[in-house]
Amino acid sequence: MTGTGDSVRRQGAAEGGGGPAGRLAARALTLGYDGRTVVEGLDLDLPDGAVTVVVGPNACGKSTLLRALGRLLRPRHGAVLLDGTDLARIPTRNIARSLGLLPQSPVAPEAITVADLVARGRQPHQRWWQQWSAEDERAVTDAMARTGVAGLADRPVDELSGGQRQRVWIAMALAQETELLLLDEPTTYLDIAHQVEVLDLVRQLNHDRGRTVVAVLHDLNQAARYADHLVAMKAGRVVAQGHPGEIVTAELVREVFGLASVVVPDPVTGSPLVVPGRPRLPRPAP
Amino acid sequence: MTDRKVTGRVPRQGGVPGRRTPPPGPPRGGSAVRPTGHALVRAGRGSFLVHRRAAVAAVVLTVFLAAVCGAYLSVGESFVPPSQVVDVLVGRPSAHELVVGTLRLPRMTVGLMVGAAFGVAGGLIQTVARNPLASPDIIGISQGASALTVAAMTFGVAPPAVGGGTATYAVLPYLSVAGGVLAAALVYVVAWRGGLHATRFVLIGIGCAVALRSVTHLFLTKGDYLVAQQAQVWMTGSLNGRGWAEAAPLGGALLVLLPGVLWAARAQRAVVLDDGTATALGVRLGRTRLGLVALGVVLASLATGAAGPVDFVALLAPQIARRMTRTAQIPLLCSALLGAVLVVLGDLLARKLFAPTELPVGVLTAAVGAPYLLWLVVRGPRTGGCAATGGTA
Repeated sequence: MTGTGDSVRRQGAAEGGGGPAGRLAARALTLGYDGRTVVEGLDLDLPDGAVTVVVGPNACGKSTLLRALGRLLRPRHGAVLLDGTDLARIPTRNIARSLGLLPQSPVAPEAITVADLVARGRQPHQRWWQQWSAEDERAVTDAMARTGVAGLADRPVDELSGGQRQRVWIAMALAQETELLLLDEPTTYLDIAHQVEVLDLVRQLNHDRGRTVVAVLHDLNQAARYADHLVAMKAGRVVAQGHPGEIVTAELVREVFGLASVVVPDPVTGSPLVVPGRPRLPRPAP
Repeated sequence: MTDRKVTGRVPRQGGVPGRRTPPPGPPRGGSAVRPTGHALVRAGRGSFLVHRRAAVAAVVLTVFLAAVCGAYLSVGESFVPPSQVVDVLVGRPSAHELVVGTLRLPRMTVGLMVGAAFGVAGGLIQTVARNPLASPDIIGISQGASALTVAAMTFGVAPPAVGGGTATYAVLPYLSVAGGVLAAALVYVVAWRGGLHATRFVLIGIGCAVALRSVTHLFLTKGDYLVAQQAQVWMTGSLNGRGWAEAAPLGGALLVLLPGVLWAARAQRAVVLDDGTATALGVRLGRTRLGLVALGVVLASLATGAAGPVDFVALLAPQIARRMTRTAQIPLLCSALLGAVLVVLGDLLARKLFAPTELPVGVLTAAVGAPYLLWLVVRGPRTGGCAATGGTA
């Protein structure tokens, strides 16, 4: 069992939070919808060149946080900083050149083809009179090859399977060629094989290109397996953050999800694996 | 798929070696090279993507429209042979100068412009509302234009043609534009709740349309009998009596709006995506939508001012055009051409079908449009793009 001690986790959290300042950060962020406050006074630094995964129970504000990081939601208070500047002060088109985002359930226009949709990822790099450059062509070809959707280029998106469609959307986000990429539950509605495929792709992308990825995932084990930096949220606050190996403990799982569990090393990757349930102790009846 | 992965990575290292002219045969079709079905047109530093099918459709529609226009000028109460029509058009002296040049040609010109304006306006508003039902004659814009115009007619601000001759029609467009814009602003403000919700926008528009229509009827019953009858014809949408006096200001206004339409054709591409994705791509969604709606409202109001609310043209043209081209967004040029075809062909039939009685063109377009509207509703909300997705601007 890895790091059950309380002190280990707290330490890990402190170090993870105080690392080198990344390009993207949140300062005193308060977020909400209508009358409801979802996130209050949140500070977060997202490490550059790493895969950060945000986890937490339903309605803990993780997707809300991601939407704010991608300027889909305007903060009530505080700010999201990109290279030290408040997002609200940067023209949205300029943001789109360094920050890409894939929302939770994007909707494709009816009858659009795969190549057409992926090509729309080039929007922030294009002008009215420059609708298609060699650079656009390279980026789109590359994005489709990486996600394995090149063979689907001329198929309408609405005819694809869920897994194929998700890869097409990721291809669109890749075609945008941003250094930072935010993914909101990219594995939702996918079967386990496709989930692994999408996450491997994200990992690969980070590995090959040094892209900074921030993803919201609801599966804690997948998060622990794929994250360099794990952020655990509960009720709009960051409970712990740091390397999964350092912070994922039975205690954290109980604190964040209210779930009794045993944490063992993943037999494949060695990352922490959360097995729900109480450890079965051989004890006589009282 | 796996072999593609390899080829896809090659260009990254060495840059893109001279891919100016047609790509040098990339492996099997090179399907990933550009958006499906588009041709690349280069002009100097500019590069433009042209949807092939839309381009073909535009050419076909232009030819068809030309044929309809030819028929429009020669067929009527008296038949003028095509050769004579050509004579008039090129300015050679002809015995048919009065019928073709003075009566039919200006009326047809107004019809062309009204149809095109309705076609584009419908396309823009349907795109923003993400709903094929959202056309200016359904969400209250035409009704707003009607209400103000009829009010002006009945309360004597703009005496109808009965007494005042053709010149008075020149006042109507301004009133109509004002009415349309006011109605649209009303719908926009009422539907706004921290953002523009597509479905709410349409529903509130329909409500406003009903309210404005009853206000218009109130004006009609209050007004003089003759005036009311005149207003009734205008409200059905008619090209009767339209001439150069209406064509010139309308043409001028459309010319001024043309750059806006060119902008809109491109801006639409992002608006058809869902709100989150569009924002992530760096589109200022709120402003873009407002711009598209405003343009659509002004176009629809201008057209209404010139010919009255010719029903269903703005509803039909964009949807037929999209089915012809199979593009992901409404093709504005084809939509404009189809709108023109619908109005000019409609007016030709309206003049000829029950001759010597002349129907208002709006009766004809409604006869075609109403069944289509029913079909749209019966077929369900799948038509016309990402139907009823919520989201805020």
